[in-house]
Amino acid sequence: MKKTEIVLIVLVALIIGVIMSLTFNASTYITFADSEKQMGKEFTVIGSLNKEKDIRFEPKLNLLTFFAVDSLNNERKIYYHDSKPQDFERSEKITMTGFATDSGFVARTILMKCPSKYNEQQHINQDTLTSLTY
Amino acid sequence: MEFIGEHTLIGHLGNAFTSVAFAAAFLAAYSFYKSSCNETLKRIWLPVARGSFYMHGTAIIGVISCMFVMIYNHYFEYQYVWQHSSLELPTHYMISCFWEGQEGSFLLWIFWNIILGVLLIKSAKSWESSILTIVSIIQVFLVSMILGIYVFGLKIGSSPFDLIRNLEENIGLPWTEMANYLQVVPQFIDGRGLNPLLQNYWMVIHPPVLFLGFSLTMIPFTYVIAALWKKNYTKWIKQALPWTYAAIMVLGTGILMGGAWAYEALSFGGFWAWDPVENSSLVPWIILVAAAHLMLVYKNKKVALPTTMAMTLLAFILIIYSTYLTRSGILGDTSVHAFAGGLASQLLVYLLTFTFTTIVLFVVRYKNLPKDHKDDKVSSREFWLFIASMVLFISAFQITWFTSLPVINKVFGTQMAPPLDAIALYNSWQTPLALLIVILMAVTQYLSYTKTNFKKFFKQISFSLLLSAVLSLFIAYTVNMWHILYFSLLWATVFATLSNFEYWRKILKGTWEHSGASVAHIGFALVIMGALLSNANKNIISSNKGFIAKDFPSNENVLLEKGDTTLMGNYYVHYKSDTLLGINKTYEVEYFSLKEEGGFTYEFTLNPFIQLNEIMGNVAEPATKHFALYDVYTHLTYADTDVHDESNPYHHESLINIKQGDSVIYNQHFLYLDSLMVNANTDLQSQNALDVMLIAKLRMQNMQGEFSATQSIYAVKNNAAQSFPGFIDDKGLKYKFVFDQVNPEAGSIQIKAYEHIDNEKPFIVMKAIIFPYINVLWIGMILMAIGTFIAMIQLFKNKKTLES
Repeated sequence: MKKTEIVLIVLVALIIGVIMSLTFNASTYITFADSEKQMGKEFTVIGSLNKEKDIRFEPKLNLLTFFAVDSLNNERKIYYHDSKPQDFERSEKITMTGFATDSGFVARTILMKCPSKYNEQQHINQDTLTSLTY
Repeated sequence: MEFIGEHTLIGHLGNAFTSVAFAAAFLAAYSFYKSSCNETLKRIWLPVARGSFYMHGTAIIGVISCMFVMIYNHYFEYQYVWQHSSLELPTHYMISCFWEGQEGSFLLWIFWNIILGVLLIKSAKSWESSILTIVSIIQVFLVSMILGIYVFGLKIGSSPFDLIRNLEENIGLPWTEMANYLQVVPQFIDGRGLNPLLQNYWMVIHPPVLFLGFSLTMIPFTYVIAALWKKNYTKWIKQALPWTYAAIMVLGTGILMGGAWAYEALSFGGFWAWDPVENSSLVPWIILVAAAHLMLVYKNKKVALPTTMAMTLLAFILIIYSTYLTRSGILGDTSVHAFAGGLASQLLVYLLTFTFTTIVLFVVRYKNLPKDHKDDKVSSREFWLFIASMVLFISAFQITWFTSLPVINKVFGTQMAPPLDAIALYNSWQTPLALLIVILMAVTQYLSYTKTNFKKFFKQISFSLLLSAVLSLFIAYTVNMWHILYFSLLWATVFATLSNFEYWRKILKGTWEHSGASVAHIGFALVIMGALLSNANKNIISSNKGFIAKDFPSNENVLLEKGDTTLMGNYYVHYKSDTLLGINKTYEVEYFSLKEEGGFTYEFTLNPFIQLNEIMGNVAEPATKHFALYDVYTHLTYADTDVHDESNPYHHESLINIKQGDSVIYNQHFLYLDSLMVNANTDLQSQNALDVMLIAKLRMQNMQGEFSATQSIYAVKNNAAQSFPGFIDDKGLKYKFVFDQVNPEAGSIQIKAYEHIDNEKPFIVMKAIIFPYINVLWIGMILMAIGTFIAMIQLFKNKKTLES
């Protein structure tokens, strides 16, 4: 066998390794209800912030609590043991990794998606409209 | 209708320039193509082609000038200006506004392509027509992104010259029908301003450098395409080599400048986070480095031409892919700073056209490509350079595959979420690959082409090998780094640094002209060493010992009240004061160390600040103290940014409903309504109350159980209600109570309670990290750029001598 062929085989093996590695390590997007079937195990949940309910940041406890609604419209209280991200109230979608407990979902990381420029503009035009009712 | 105050001329001019630029790029592509066919056609078409390319360039400069005029003069009727700039923005950041948006950044890219196109017209000689055909086609695609015209109901591109009132979503709104909308709609008085994160000096220079890197990557690509197209398979390498090195240098510098920006101005605490946006510019760089080394192998040994070509082509395809990833919005949930997208399908067409054409051309020509049939010796330099390129390829493949998760989901219909600890997973792949690369970088230069004399090899390398073992043991002992993989990588970087230095000193006799490779290799080794030392040993000194769950520390932040001092690592950290200056609220955080004989020694002050931005939200910027051997990074994760109005010190209104004799908990204190007295002045004849006065007797309990009382009065006189607030100001309580209304049905009264600002001391929540030896990384980065620069100059010189 030529050496180039050996190199090629190793290369292909590594490529398959990379592909497998992602498939095995990828987490799954699930709902709160599913995350509660295995309490304490970490999952990724995508939810949206319930802006009607209390968003409470207690700097002295370093604890942010808020309510999020998942894709099946189930709501849970979220405990996030870190500072409140800037602009948190404006977020639309929140991707949370963490685990379920009896009293709520404990988030290790949260990633917010803020409204796109397009929507923001809509919003401002709406304001403009109301300010100009004549 | 005539709209008052609009500057429509500049927009028309800009649109005209854009159309001319698009048409001229088209014409240039066609005429360069014609002129590449044969000598006769060349005589006719080449002047046309050059002329149209210059016209294209001039029109683009026209477009850019129009945009600057609009931004500089604050023409907020234009969407781009309104969205990205504001009145109080300093002039130097106006340059950043220019490329904050999609349209502007495409223009920056187009602009660099023109500069390079002109350089190629001047220097590419016989290659000119064919490579400029490809450059012009790329320009057609890029300019189409900023056209902003409708073709059969499809919007092609998005123009920076769109008026807000003409945007699709605004058509038909009442204000767009008003001639004086600019005067009466308050939103048009000022723009939304530049994203505060981008108001940083790195953001003035990082994008142009990065985009120049993107543009330079195009040049080797056009050479390979031209070579395949014109069946001139081998001569391109000497032409493309210096440009490839230029691309490596500029793109690499651009990426690391982005890292420097992240480190200086962003809050994630580090210079690299394997974020998709960062990854997608790193990957083409890695592939380009692999391609450049393969080109060198081919130049010297005439082997592995197909791989060399494929790798060079791939680098540019990956640039387009990265543009697609970061700008189409597909990254959505997985990236912090994905740009908003609207050009998704157009970018996909661009990507697929280039990928497909390239693959077809390569496959069609593959059988004609010169191939080597003899097997390389395991002891030869070319064999190990080839292996090194493959290791780089795997590294790039892993990053791309992981970054492409949303694309994979879309294509295969899967629902995979990013790995829970993505950074650790990236590191677990990239650390061993980096180890391999660095070792190869240390030894490969000592191998000879074709066959190596091992006796000579060991004689030459043994010194570096021994010294590196001793040195790395010493460093590992100093920084306590005994993890087997980390220690190996540390040793490899020391080894590569020494061996490359020795190679330059002994074998290249220390000449500057030939130092390029050695300097760049040392630079790369130091970048890896710096990344390893500063990351593996980074110390979050603000973290404390609380845990929420196993492996889940509760707190990497420390709360500091104004005037307080707390111990972090070896420092006593003191929050001294804060000042509001313009839009920045700056905090003064002092660091002290403990003297042996007792007492504190002042060490330094850091000023992290918060940029107040009502529209986009406040942004905290870290402050870092740089020492030769380590950095102390300080970041405010939370701070109270309310501006207190001293003339009205009561704030935080709460509504309290309370019945007589009842108590409520307000602000962690018991509040009693002891009695509610009514004083009425009654008209004796009609029995109606004329004037009524209600007196609420309130009592509040402090933490020690002591009481403090006040009364709040609600009076109605001649049918007008008036309230006289009651104050509590003793026993550590400072509150104001306003008797707001009576609820006769509920039998309760409503009180508005306010807290005095003195009740709460201002505080900050901060994070502090020590990054040891991070300067090694920056020195490495500079050396890498210098080394690549020297190599590039040398290659351009060689090319010149070859041609003359």
